[in-house]
Amino acid sequence: MTNEVQKNSTPQTKTKLWLDVLIFVAFLVTMDPHSSGIAIHEWLSLAMIATLTIHLLLSWDWIVEISKRFLGKVGGQNRINYIVNWLLFIDGTMIMISGTMISEVVLPVMGIQFPADFAWRRLHDMSANIGLLLLGIHTALHWSWIVIAFNKYLIRPVVRWIPARQKEDASI
Amino acid sequence: MKTIGRILLILAIFSVLSGLMVAAVNANGQQSIASSDFDGAPSQFRTEGDGDEDGDGIRPGGGEVRGERGGRGGAGGSRWIFGLLKNVGVMALVVTVIALPRSLGKKKRIQVAVNSVKGEV
Repeated sequence: MTNEVQKNSTPQTKTKLWLDVLIFVAFLVTMDPHSSGIAIHEWLSLAMIATLTIHLLLSWDWIVEISKRFLGKVGGQNRINYIVNWLLFIDGTMIMISGTMISEVVLPVMGIQFPADFAWRRLHDMSANIGLLLLGIHTALHWSWIVIAFNKYLIRPVVRWIPARQKEDASI
Repeated sequence: MKTIGRILLILAIFSVLSGLMVAAVNANGQQSIASSDFDGAPSQFRTEGDGDEDGDGIRPGGGEVRGERGGRGGAGGSRWIFGLLKNVGVMALVVTVIALPRSLGKKKRIQVAVNSVKGEV
């Protein structure tokens, strides 16, 4: 995964980077319903299903490759990555389902209402906390990719843009 | 077509996992109801007018205190900033604990390789 920036085509890496930034920000907002309010919390979480699906589609080749070779020859880092990704998927599913079961805004809008269940509430809180830890591990395992991609698509263009802008201003 | 197939596969795994979770939680609920000496009301629900000391936000009617989850109950301005900082802090800590030693180890390996090449020259 470290060399993904070099391996993948530029537009795909760029898309992946901005999508990941979007998911990260959305995750932080949804993790704190006190700041966003319950309506944004629920609608944003629902929208995240689509973005997470795109995130998985963009990494599809890697997923297929490691799934095929998981029991055979796979590097230690890829194996850990794969396991963490599965745990994240399972935990994400748990967050979504428990959240759906205790929904106060989205489901009532659709005319659906489940009876209040204490167990789902507990499960939702617990899986969200585990999700935070797992996302931290997921981010850490891809840290070098994040640093390379940020340098390539954000920092370097900005650094290049500033002197060019100064030259333009000076010529005027 | 390929992409639609992949999306369907992701959603299928999502649905299977969801089904398993719903079944597990329901089975667990049935089991705990059957094993408890049920006398009319679940123990975690308090009678009307009781406080919400443990912060669970559960009320007798099955409803929830909105403020506990959704922030409509007048949470202080600093509270949500604290929540946001806490989440970012936890992630930063995890990233530092995992990524920093890996990065240092990588640098060390590169340095050793550079030194060995210099030694050969």
